[in-house]
Amino acid sequence: MERRRFPRDVTALERIHEWVGTFVAANGFPAEAAFDVDLLIEELFTNMVKYNHTGRQEIEIALSAEGAVVTIRIRDFDVDSFDPTRAPEVDPDMPMEERRRGGLGLHFVRRMADSLEYDYTDRNSTVTVTKRLET
Amino acid sequence: MFEIEIRDQGNILLRGRLDASEAENAIGVLRGLPGPITADCSELEYISSAGIGVLVETHKRLLDAGQALKLRNLNPRVKNVFTYAGLHKFLLIE
Repeated sequence: MERRRFPRDVTALERIHEWVGTFVAANGFPAEAAFDVDLLIEELFTNMVKYNHTGRQEIEIALSAEGAVVTIRIRDFDVDSFDPTRAPEVDPDMPMEERRRGGLGLHFVRRMADSLEYDYTDRNSTVTVTKRLET
Repeated sequence: MFEIEIRDQGNILLRGRLDASEAENAIGVLRGLPGPITADCSELEYISSAGIGVLVETHKRLLDAGQALKLRNLNPRVKNVFTYAGLHKFLLIE
């Protein structure tokens, strides 16, 4: 498992994207497969940046691949609990006029991920998702 | 890296990755454009919920003015994101 820590700021996304590209290539996936990994990480990472207000430390992202399945683990240290598996569902049939910005990110994660787990231990929030990628 | 290339007669080209780090700049540019707008997405490589939010806001602004945002030439992965969001039913996608 490869692990890296990133500043809790959306400007880190470019570096995360570069790292994901390297990881995907090193594990024999086509470059296009990075899209899904990027999207899952971005939505979970930005969610932590925006809503874990007590967080001060860098956010740790870990990636591993076993066959065609990639596991993404994102850990935010010393924060209040926020369980993305229990976040309110977004209604994709809601008309445009009633839509507000935000709320879609975790909907994407639930829609795309093959599994989604949350753990909160010793004030550390850990989200783990798996995704089977194209090979 | 994300760019909006402004062409003529309401045509724009979206290029690169419209993620959360680019959303604020993108909405700033789009708010300055009169409608209707047709966005060529052939060079849009990636979009997240933050990017979707930018396009939804633009579409709603134009709708209020009796106009529309039209999206063309989306690659299949980007189009999937619109489908996840349920927006393929509401936005004009060619």
